[in-house]
Amino acid sequence: MKRIEVKLHLPAVAPLLDVIKGAADSLRDGLAAPLRVEGLDAEFRGEWEAELAAAQNEDVRLLLALFGSEFFGTGIVALDEGNAEAVARACAAVRLRLRGRALAALPDEALEAGSVEAEQLEEPVRRAFMCYVFLGTLLELILSHLGSAFLGGGAAPSA
Amino acid sequence: MPAADTLTLPRPETGAAPALGGAWRVVVLNDPVNLMSYVVVVFRRVLGFDEATARKHMLEVHEQGRSVVWSGLRERAEHYAFILQQWHLTTVLEPDETH
Repeated sequence: MKRIEVKLHLPAVAPLLDVIKGAADSLRDGLAAPLRVEGLDAEFRGEWEAELAAAQNEDVRLLLALFGSEFFGTGIVALDEGNAEAVARACAAVRLRLRGRALAALPDEALEAGSVEAEQLEEPVRRAFMCYVFLGTLLELILSHLGSAFLGGGAAPSA
Repeated sequence: MPAADTLTLPRPETGAAPALGGAWRVVVLNDPVNLMSYVVVVFRRVLGFDEATARKHMLEVHEQGRSVVWSGLRERAEHYAFILQQWHLTTVLEPDETH
């Protein structure tokens, strides 16, 4: 099984974890990306939302599990084919939640262009933005080193 | 590990359902958060696109705000919408009037 270990700078990352955990916990209240599919009857829609929420919560649990006691001892997070997909989805979910709440005042264009000046932001927005960037970096690492492991299935049949 | 590519919720049969026959489009909408590289991998993972096709659709989403990533029967379209939503890509379904 392909595996990567990422050594993080503990003094830089540790202060971000409370913010990440707060955003992750807030995802228990709803989906990171709103469900906009129309034409589902109420019962079916409720089943979808429940399934999506359960999957989202499990993904987030696996993301937070990276930062347990072992991480505080070594500064290392370990990713492999068993958790990479879930952690990637969780990174996306928490980034969306940060954007929707703590970073809601930042313009889309600046976020997409990567032109936000972190040092000009006030706390706690600056810290939330650092979490947003950190999770994006973690996600890019996963895609670079383990992305090929994602591509084993899911081919669409012809319509 | 969540079964991101295998879970298909059965659609309950209801006599009062709106007209859902014919072809439907699965449309992914832009957001300012998800990384381009992530969207490419998700399209490859979920829809089975090759790299070039996935990039083409990702750029459509990024530049035009939306991309039609699949078209076909409603039930299958719902399946793809569900999985794409599981990867946090905002997805809508719309009737494919070209069929």
